[in-house]
Amino acid sequence: MSTEPQTPAIDPITVEIIRNGLLAVTEEMKTNLMRTAYNLIIYEALDFTVGLFTTKGQTISIGLGLPMFIRGMAETVKAKIAHYGLENIHPGDILVTNDAYTTGSHLNHFTFTQPIYFEGELVAFACCMAHWLDVGGTLGQVTTDIFSEGIQIPIVKYRRGDVVNQELVDIIAMNVRLPERAMGDLRAQITAITTGERRFVELVKRYGKDAVLGAVDILMDQSEAIARANTRAIPDGVYEAESFMDDDGVEVGQRVPIRVKVEKRGDEMTIDLSDVSRQVRGFYNSGFTTGIACAQVAFKCLTTPTEYPVNDGSFRNLKVIMPMGRVISAERPFPMRVWMTYPMTVIDTIFKALASAIPDRVAAGHHADLVFPNIHGVSPADGRLFIVGIGPLGGGWGAKANEDGVSATVCINDGDTHNSPSEQLEAKYPVLVERYSLREDSAGAGRTRGGLGAEMVVQALSPFSLTTRIDRMHCKPWGLDGGGDAMGNGIGIRRNGQWEAELPNAKIFGVRLGRGDAYMMQSGGGGGFGDALARDPEKVADDVREGYVSRAAAYRHYGVVVTPDGALDVEATAARRAAFGQDSGEDAAFEVIAG
Amino acid sequence: MAAAPDVTSNTLRIAVDIGGTFTDLAAFDEATGELRFGKALSTHGALVNGIQHTLLDADVKVDDAYLFLHGSTIAINTLLERSGAKTALLITEGFRDIYEIGRVNRPDAYNLFFSKHEPLVRRSLRFEVPERLRADGATHRKLDEDAVRTLVKSLADREIESVAVLLLHSYRNPQHEIRVKQIVQEELPGVFVSASHELSQEYREFERVSTVAANAYVGPRVAAYLGELEDHLQASGFKGTFYAVQSTGGLFPVEHARRECVRMLESGPAAGVIGAQAICTQLGLPDAIAFDMGGTTAKAGVISEGRPLTTGSALIGGYERALPIQIPMMDIFEVGTGGGSLARVGEGNALRVGPQSAGSMPGPACYGRGGTEPTVTDANLLLGRLDPEHFLGGAMALDVEAARKAMSDVADRLGLDPIKTAEGILRIAITAMSYAVKAVTTERGLDAGAFTMVVYGGAGPLHASAIAREIGIKRVLIPFAPGHFSAFGMLFSDLRYDFVRSCFRKLAEVTFEELEDIYRGMEDEGRAAIAGSVVRPESVRVERAADMRYVGQEHAVTVDLPEDLFLNADHAAFKRRFDEVHAVRYGTSSPSEACEIVSLRTTVLGVMAKPAPRTVPEGGEEPTADAVRIVKPVFFGDRFHDTPVYSRTHLKAGNRLSGPLLVEEHASTTVVAPGDELVVDRFGNLVIAIGSARS
Repeated sequence: MSTEPQTPAIDPITVEIIRNGLLAVTEEMKTNLMRTAYNLIIYEALDFTVGLFTTKGQTISIGLGLPMFIRGMAETVKAKIAHYGLENIHPGDILVTNDAYTTGSHLNHFTFTQPIYFEGELVAFACCMAHWLDVGGTLGQVTTDIFSEGIQIPIVKYRRGDVVNQELVDIIAMNVRLPERAMGDLRAQITAITTGERRFVELVKRYGKDAVLGAVDILMDQSEAIARANTRAIPDGVYEAESFMDDDGVEVGQRVPIRVKVEKRGDEMTIDLSDVSRQVRGFYNSGFTTGIACAQVAFKCLTTPTEYPVNDGSFRNLKVIMPMGRVISAERPFPMRVWMTYPMTVIDTIFKALASAIPDRVAAGHHADLVFPNIHGVSPADGRLFIVGIGPLGGGWGAKANEDGVSATVCINDGDTHNSPSEQLEAKYPVLVERYSLREDSAGAGRTRGGLGAEMVVQALSPFSLTTRIDRMHCKPWGLDGGGDAMGNGIGIRRNGQWEAELPNAKIFGVRLGRGDAYMMQSGGGGGFGDALARDPEKVADDVREGYVSRAAAYRHYGVVVTPDGALDVEATAARRAAFGQDSGEDAAFEVIAG
Repeated sequence: MAAAPDVTSNTLRIAVDIGGTFTDLAAFDEATGELRFGKALSTHGALVNGIQHTLLDADVKVDDAYLFLHGSTIAINTLLERSGAKTALLITEGFRDIYEIGRVNRPDAYNLFFSKHEPLVRRSLRFEVPERLRADGATHRKLDEDAVRTLVKSLADREIESVAVLLLHSYRNPQHEIRVKQIVQEELPGVFVSASHELSQEYREFERVSTVAANAYVGPRVAAYLGELEDHLQASGFKGTFYAVQSTGGLFPVEHARRECVRMLESGPAAGVIGAQAICTQLGLPDAIAFDMGGTTAKAGVISEGRPLTTGSALIGGYERALPIQIPMMDIFEVGTGGGSLARVGEGNALRVGPQSAGSMPGPACYGRGGTEPTVTDANLLLGRLDPEHFLGGAMALDVEAARKAMSDVADRLGLDPIKTAEGILRIAITAMSYAVKAVTTERGLDAGAFTMVVYGGAGPLHASAIAREIGIKRVLIPFAPGHFSAFGMLFSDLRYDFVRSCFRKLAEVTFEELEDIYRGMEDEGRAAIAGSVVRPESVRVERAADMRYVGQEHAVTVDLPEDLFLNADHAAFKRRFDEVHAVRYGTSSPSEACEIVSLRTTVLGVMAKPAPRTVPEGGEEPTADAVRIVKPVFFGDRFHDTPVYSRTHLKAGNRLSGPLLVEEHASTTVVAPGDELVVDRFGNLVIAIGSARS
């Protein structure tokens, strides 16, 4: 019996210790990037992702920055491996690219990768993507090809061994508008990946190469097991849904259809994105990698939402059908600058498809846009160019079967992303924030209510140019299971004290505002869930007292009568609810409020 | 306050810390050098009774004291339990919702069932004030005082108990906030009122509104409690001065604490770090990690170059739903979930320890209160590190069978034996804590391995050796009375006033005269406050710092500024100092790039006389025979070792012991692993040299 061969099995305790170790590595990479970064898109908006990858480019662990980039780095690492071949990637090398069709996103996403060697053997890769504030290209206009979006760096070596490719750095520096910031961010990214390399090697030294790499495999199996168990719990079937984007910014008013099909059998799921719109002329396209990411983000939200690290095992039972040439699998030279907007609606549409199957695991539609206007101008303080994004505004999230939606929170593309304090903006830029508030009645009605959208009005203290690239003004965040739709996103322009007539969409490019003029950004609410007439009237009355829902809307959508001093009129409510549907409610609501 | 009574003959200093479970007392008699301790269960609802019990336990009388120092969880509990006052918020027109909107972040990125912070003031009680200042402090729109008065009058009908005021850019110009506060005081006499600039003069309106709202929310209850305590002390014959402990670990007069209650939020944990600092000072140790582990949480603070690290703001409550508090505080990090962390097996045989905790109900399986899942405490029991008969000094018998049963359930699923499983659970908890402690230091560019770990709290000494070994720390120090450590630390606190002013200026363009003016303004205020205090400190010390960054960077770093910088008015040295700090903190610096100031910080300290170190009797290297209470099997590495259990009260200075061994005392057990060397120093500290081998 003592001759039985011993497989070097890795016990579950060691696996768990290594899991904590891997999380600590990617956390430290993230910390070092954030603390050394030069621009607030990295520091406050967390528009970055750091991670560790296997020698095949599979995700071992990614430190949460930009949730939508769940796929982008692994595919970029794979492309880099394919480009050079593993044998030509040497210790100390750092590979870089910002190729939009590789990362699946825009040219702002500079992605650096360093091989991790242990005792002469390649064991993993450390990688860091971060959003640079400016990469050249046209400012403040809709772009219609990739060449007008800035400098493109194919897969090249930023460093060979310990020698930095200074010519490359010089070329980049000459092609961006704010080279000091770009170089600051570049240094921060190098710090992040070298941290990843050092810490991963420490882990390997501590527990042994076989244990660490073996644990990586087991952790992927564990993620897969959880994903499969949670997939199994979804009823089998084929589920479809559709929605649309307002337009591509070029052909104003031309809707862009989003259709998804989900097939669930046993513990496998297939998400078919073939019927998502063809790629478009305006800059709202994203690459194949992001198309896959749409399916993976939705899948993770439904099956392993709080499981970390994010690794490739979580997606083994997910198949994605994603032909090329779609708006989320665009081909060169289709423009990609606003890559992040459409995928959010694709994800929400996947939830919509599954709502009938798993009503208690999805949320109604959300505002699905960063609502992040950009302004640029010349600062009167120092006469220098400034470029700044003011946001994200935060908007409403959809109601769930048993919970109201959350108000004024960043959309699904982003995660731990912070808005900019008004006091900070006003101290740095010639703007005055007139208002930053919740939008009354912006949420969809339902048994559970959606979250509220927000609204911000910003006045120019000296002239600047405004660009907004906001969608989902016309396609309102939808309700589920009979719940009402929310208000969509929107914008407004005020010149000489007059708000301009309603705009056809929420996209304006490089519009100049003079001193005293202002713009307004509005984010949509979240859709409602279930029949609004089934909502507890006391909750509706409370919403009225708090000013989330107007008295008129309480009457019209919920059939609830609230007195002018905020009390629930129980009898009138019962009568109103009984009579609901027999008239439009519009006139009666007017009478109630007027009276 | 009444005129200073004659208490010159009194030499007793009493410190009382009310924690979640226990109320601790430490008292120091300056005349005799005697140190006394007392402990009692905290009495929720009647906190003053708990204090009374500790006085009896320690056998000290308040009428012998000239100083009464106090820290309490009342402020943080009021906040977390949402049991504060009905509060209204007055805020700049257009900004009523910023308190609810917050920073719009969604940390739990893939969870559709996320939630965000909940304001302490409902929307219907947030009112807009017609006024507006600009970022430079200039008036954009004049304050409409009549409108404010009408509004405030209307609050009288709403049974408002407290009012918070936040006006934009008040950090730059507080005039409008001052007027609004006056109007509230005129129209609503007796109502608690707090204006944001009194607490924070830094930009970031959400953080400031959250701070002032929290102060107004906890204010009436904390103020009433402090008043009750003061009355009680006076009735008991106390004629000395009553100071409260702030989250910086510094003291401030109780009448000040009654207005700025939010400064007391983390008084206990902060005082623990002050205690660790005091021990480091005695022993000449510049760098230490203060590690505090109780039943429900493990926390760490850092002492670098002899000074505890502080922060300008903290998040209260779990990160996802946290309320920010923007005031200077001791920088204390949560690094684990304590002995109650549950071990569970999930899909794919995945073993996880925490974050779920058994809490105090049902608690670990071994508490015998119905818990069926194993916790870290159960693991410690099965491995022989806790004594079922001597837990909490025998106050609670532990159920070994219940622990074994719970552990076996998990072990069976993993295909391991229960002891291996217990050891594994402990190891997982230890490595997780070690990563968290390391993150605290590396985040600041410090090397944890070079630090001493000062360990306290009931569960700290149980895990310290293993955590230190993981991190690469060479020395662990268990102070005398680790279970009373926050109260002990208070005896070393100084009077303290912290000031911060936002000041956006490029370093090259600002003159030293301008800086001196701002610093002087803050320092004069602090000196005046200290001069007005009843107790005369030994000396007054001023520390200056600035939050700085490279032009274009967003994130600022706090740079301590030595006095000679100002004496020499040396711009270049100023810049060098920033570059150095940046290099330490982030590993890079750019000496050729311009930098800017974001805020100026000053701390004014009224330095108090410190208790003289207490020494313990000398003994030889070998402890006396009666020091070993029992020899029992304790699991280390891969097997049980016969391990002597020493009684701490029998150990003498100079005793030198090799692990494995345990040292038991009233509320805590110290584990010394094989390969570790324990020495009792002359102050009675257990100093453990950590062996290099990992067990």
